[in-house]
Amino acid sequence: MNFSLTEEQKTLRESIVRFARNELNEDVVERDRTQTFRRDLWTKCGEMGILGLPIPEEYGGSGLDVLSTAIALEALGYGCSDAGFVFSISAHLLPCVVPIGTFGTEEQKKRLLPDLCGGKRIAANAMTEPGTGSDAFAMKTRAVRDGRGFRLAGTKMFCSNGPIADLAVVFAVTDPEKGYHGGITTFLVEKETEGFRASQKFEKMGLRTSPIGELVLENAFVSEDAVLGGVGGGATVFAHSMDWERILLFATHVGTMERLLEKAVEYARIRTQFGQPIGKFQGVSHKIADMKVRLEAARLLVYRSAWKLGERKSVSMDASITKLFVSESLLETALDTVQVLGGYGFMTEYEVERALRDAIGSTIYSGTSEMQRNIIARWLGL
Amino acid sequence: MDEGIKQTIKEYILKEFLPGERPDALGDSTPLVSGGILDSIATLKLVAFLEERYEIRLEAHEASAENLNTIEEIARLVQSKKG
Repeated sequence: MNFSLTEEQKTLRESIVRFARNELNEDVVERDRTQTFRRDLWTKCGEMGILGLPIPEEYGGSGLDVLSTAIALEALGYGCSDAGFVFSISAHLLPCVVPIGTFGTEEQKKRLLPDLCGGKRIAANAMTEPGTGSDAFAMKTRAVRDGRGFRLAGTKMFCSNGPIADLAVVFAVTDPEKGYHGGITTFLVEKETEGFRASQKFEKMGLRTSPIGELVLENAFVSEDAVLGGVGGGATVFAHSMDWERILLFATHVGTMERLLEKAVEYARIRTQFGQPIGKFQGVSHKIADMKVRLEAARLLVYRSAWKLGERKSVSMDASITKLFVSESLLETALDTVQVLGGYGFMTEYEVERALRDAIGSTIYSGTSEMQRNIIARWLGL
Repeated sequence: MDEGIKQTIKEYILKEFLPGERPDALGDSTPLVSGGILDSIATLKLVAFLEERYEIRLEAHEASAENLNTIEEIARLVQSKKG
């Protein structure tokens, strides 16, 4: 077992950290305050190849393997202090671009992926509904056959990137009797589709630079070539998307944890109280030591799960373990960083109170911590 | 139909999803999906098992009630994928 990064992976990491620090961190406090998504930065990420990291080059992607994609996203989370923007990238790439790359027909891949990878178009995943969150497959959105296509009707809730999306990956019931087992289908719905619109936009506690909203389908007609993964293939497409998201989105959080750790160490070394740096007090140093332990364990989980995903092995339980541990570690680390920085940590300009607000959603999105524990227990046969 | 495939699938389902159940209570035509034995996570586990055990790859739309509702149907699917 070799844990060292290849030279290519080290170069990849360095180049993304440099890019993120130089290009993505301007005015983050203000962007957070005003909930501003920067489209110009999105375009730059497209030019940098970040929006299509694991997609083959022939479709406009960067052609990276899964582990290298995790390393790249970790670097993005480390270098970019706008966690909302990083979240938008993950919400576009992992449950939208990746499934199109995996399940798309040749025509779909050639038509959609170059612009999605290149930063010209933004995608949103539309699964959750007003009445369904953890119980996702109890969805009400219906797709009914109509000639050579389908008519979609329903409302999708909490769609990350929804208000700015050019394309939505929509899950709908095509056969209520079959339900999970062949009754759910995935559709690629383009912004211009008649009867499809972004509705209300929500204000949220953290990740404020990542727009989130409702998507409404009012008998929106899509042709047969909008089906992704075959009619009835929705459950598999969703499970695959969750495997990617629960590993790779949380790779970005490993980067965030490292950035917060460095901030806490730096502050604890220079801030003096009672005649010595506060890092000399065990109450502070042990807190920071625990941050380091969580960081290293989280990184190992992400790398191992990413490697396994790349080997095309079953990773559902690994993905849940990774998601659960990394999200709860991120939250603890963000809270501890605020505590170490004390009164300064509570102030907006020090940019750690924002990290805490941004971290809170991580134990909710992509399946709550409670759901991850349920899934792990079920895989253990309980 | 390969009886060995059916037997392997039956043993897996008994062990994973019906612990303590009598083997003769699970027949080749016992409904697994409509009978509530295969829920979403159980289906994921079963598909992962089939793909690894038989070195096959199921398409997204193939993890359906038509293909997975009985041991008979699952074995037929596996055999068709093995070629």
